[in-house]
Amino acid sequence: MVVVPGYANQGLKWVNKKANLGVPLLPQKGFNLGLDLQGGAHLIYQTKTEQVPAGDVASAVEGVRDVIERRVRGGLGVSEPLVQTTRVGNDYRILVELPGVTDVNQAIKMIGETPILEFKEENKSPERDLTAAEKKAMDLYNAAQQKKASDVLRSILNGTSFETALNQFSEASSSTAQKSGAMGFISRDAYPEIYDWAKTAAVGSVSRTAIKSADGYSIVKKLAEQNGPKRVGAQHILICYKGAESCDTAITYTKEQAKARIEELKKEVTAKNFTDYAKRFSTEPAAATTGGDLGTFTSGQMVKSFEDAIFNVPVGSIVGPVETEFGYHLIYKKSEDAPKEYSVSRIYFGLKQKSDIVPPAESWKFSGLSGKQLKRAEVTQDTQTGQVQVNLQFNDEGTKLFGEITGRNIGKQVAIFLDGEPISIPRVNEAITGGSAVISGSFTILDAKLLAQRLNSGALPVPVELLSQQKVDATLGADSLQKSFKAGIAGLIAVMIFMVAYYRLPGLLSVFSLLLYAVLNLAIFKLMGVTLTLSGIAGFILSIGMAVDANVLVFERLKEELKLGKPLRSAMEESFIRAWPSIRDGHVTTLIGAFVLAWFGGTGFVRGFAIVLGTGVIMSLFTAVTITRTIMRFVLGRFTTGTRLFFLGGKPVSKL
Amino acid sequence: MMKIPFIKYSKLWFSISILTVVLSVWAIATFGIKLGIDFTGGSMVELSFSKNRPETEQVQHTLESEGLKQYIVQKAGDNKYLIRTSFLSEDQHQSLVKKMQSTFGKDGSVVHEESFETIGSAVSEQLRQRAISSIIWVNVAIILYVAYAFRGVSRPVASWKYGLLAIVALIHDILLVMGAFAVMGHYFGVEVETDFILALLTVLGFSVTDTIVVYDRIRENIVHHSAANFPEIVNVALNETLMRSLNTTLTVLLPLFALYFLGGESIRNFSLALLIGMASGAYSSIFIASPLLVYVEKWQRRKTA
Repeated sequence: MVVVPGYANQGLKWVNKKANLGVPLLPQKGFNLGLDLQGGAHLIYQTKTEQVPAGDVASAVEGVRDVIERRVRGGLGVSEPLVQTTRVGNDYRILVELPGVTDVNQAIKMIGETPILEFKEENKSPERDLTAAEKKAMDLYNAAQQKKASDVLRSILNGTSFETALNQFSEASSSTAQKSGAMGFISRDAYPEIYDWAKTAAVGSVSRTAIKSADGYSIVKKLAEQNGPKRVGAQHILICYKGAESCDTAITYTKEQAKARIEELKKEVTAKNFTDYAKRFSTEPAAATTGGDLGTFTSGQMVKSFEDAIFNVPVGSIVGPVETEFGYHLIYKKSEDAPKEYSVSRIYFGLKQKSDIVPPAESWKFSGLSGKQLKRAEVTQDTQTGQVQVNLQFNDEGTKLFGEITGRNIGKQVAIFLDGEPISIPRVNEAITGGSAVISGSFTILDAKLLAQRLNSGALPVPVELLSQQKVDATLGADSLQKSFKAGIAGLIAVMIFMVAYYRLPGLLSVFSLLLYAVLNLAIFKLMGVTLTLSGIAGFILSIGMAVDANVLVFERLKEELKLGKPLRSAMEESFIRAWPSIRDGHVTTLIGAFVLAWFGGTGFVRGFAIVLGTGVIMSLFTAVTITRTIMRFVLGRFTTGTRLFFLGGKPVSKL
Repeated sequence: MMKIPFIKYSKLWFSISILTVVLSVWAIATFGIKLGIDFTGGSMVELSFSKNRPETEQVQHTLESEGLKQYIVQKAGDNKYLIRTSFLSEDQHQSLVKKMQSTFGKDGSVVHEESFETIGSAVSEQLRQRAISSIIWVNVAIILYVAYAFRGVSRPVASWKYGLLAIVALIHDILLVMGAFAVMGHYFGVEVETDFILALLTVLGFSVTDTIVVYDRIRENIVHHSAANFPEIVNVALNETLMRSLNTTLTVLLPLFALYFLGGESIRNFSLALLIGMASGAYSSIFIASPLLVYVEKWQRRKTA
């Protein structure tokens, strides 16, 4: 009735109708089918717990598990996902089983896209210095490079051609073509040492020293020279206004006010006081030290309107106000020239620098506050500007942390990172102890809603990486199920035919126990919620064969006992008793295998197979011994002498 | 009833077994067993083509164009391809499937991804270790149990020796299955996955069960008769349990044959491993485990004499 509740219920309904009884119907619960039979996905994730203190790892991983479960239930609508954590050595893994899910790609995205929210503060710790060993290695390397350069130079001076030496010895560099060593036309800014040499050298000549520049030693050949593009030197004063690009938030000018202010300055400023004015009035933050000096630039390096205004006026003129996206400018043209450029080729020997060995310091460091300490996120609007923002409410731990972080960063910036990218970098004005923060990037209301939703369903406390996945299409699963079902039925029938053909009447009786065995076993799978996989079904089919093993043992024994001339009944009782040790020992060894398998499998389909095999073995002990014996006792009572045909052949059964 | 002189021809049985075992070991040593992605890590895509299944070269060409260097392409069923590659990230996987669909999904032919499996090296490492340790533990547990079950019998052969000999028979069966798969791996590209370990462990249990039934009968006969003529006792026991051994093996092999022929592609290798193992298990309990017992007894007598 458990195996086929549909039919049983029809029967019960019929009874209820006829007899007017209120017999409750059976629950129509299906078998627990594995992914390979019903289709779906099985994913294994590795949690990246390196940054989590050792004591908190387990709880952080549990947190990841909970979040993923919420995500697949809510986001994907999977009703019975299986999300488990396992530990392998020091690795914590998350197993996600999504029965019936066909679009695994989307599922993976859903799980992987779960946002990682982090609060970071400015990293003030300087780059580390070279260790003594690193310094020594670097010096040794550089000395060797210098020697190599001078060796090659000597051989060139002794007659080796520049090109031969270039081919043989030159190293690659970012600014040098590998084969020809050509650097193109160089400017003084980038390579002052080489430029200065080329200024006095004749075209076609090779340097008589290895020239040391910032990046290494070069033996240089001058290829050509030409007049470079026009170069202009200038200084400027900027007045920006609220809303202009890069304008400091402290500036409160409206656009009109800024315009008026710059007109005012224009009346007063001269070539003489320009630097002084720039330092005092320019809204450019660096102007206080640079005096608004922009150095020199060629065409195309400045904003178009800026360049147009200054490029073709005489040296010494002040132009403006010029409007750009940064605000209004007054510009003083300091110089104009067109320096020569030299095309050179070089044999290059690179030097190592500190920056080649020590990685640059991160500009942000993790503050300890993450999505883990988030209580709630919601979309709000700034009451003054109407800007859409996401309001974060921290839990107790997060409130305390946030208070400390803002407390030690007053006047500095704190960055909010989402999935490793800064999404908002607000300046801290005061310590915030109320436990709420606002992310006010340039959100549309839709973006903000999505972000809040994602944050609410939980930010992953630690990142995860997809280790392995298994996906089976539902139709393939159904096909496998159907085929293995067919094979099971065929196997069962084959065994039955064999038993009846060989053992006659007792064989027929054992067939009844075998059927009972199959039904009871299926009922157990259902009631215990054993997950049936393809190999599990194979295990079940296999156990059908094993289930009759006990019967075969007993019947063979029965034949022997009958041959000895014992009466049928006592021969039967004797054979059950005599066969028992063999039956027991045989079943126990198979059980041992099943237990080890259950342990080996941990989770998933191996365990399914082991449980199926194990329950099968225990169940067959019951059906093949107890049930068969009961049936046989009942049936044998009805037989008399001379009915050997129904039994096991051999001698006629003489007495009862 | 006619008595078959099993023990008399022990040397013949041993020679056959030694030959097959040596062949198996040789095959395992030279060919090696082809490990599937469960144990090596990697990815496997199963694609079906509703109308025109392309040629293997075309599929290989498409894989190359996706920048994949290591791959194995196999036809499966009437309209499918199994493609094994090195580990694919989810992006690579999606890109591969899209490419296959755009390349071969023409003229009304639909390219469908039937199944996909990818195993990272961390997972495959874990599976490998567990497979090895589970085989070791099953063996240890079985020796202990057999020694325990035969604890009453210490004459003429000590109970732990029964356990040990059962294991010898068992190793014979395992080697045979592994040898068969080494040969199949070499000639037909058959790869071994986790379910192969399942099959091996099941064979372990079954092989010992079979051996135990014979030993049980020997034990019983020793109690009833004197242990004077040990070889004769073993031979009688073998004859008495012969029909049982054959019939039990048959009742296990019948459903396995059904599984092999009707169970579909994905379960075929699994059932084949079981078939070979079960058949070998029945053979070894009759022709190896019991004659060996006689030899051990003879050897003991010679030592004490």
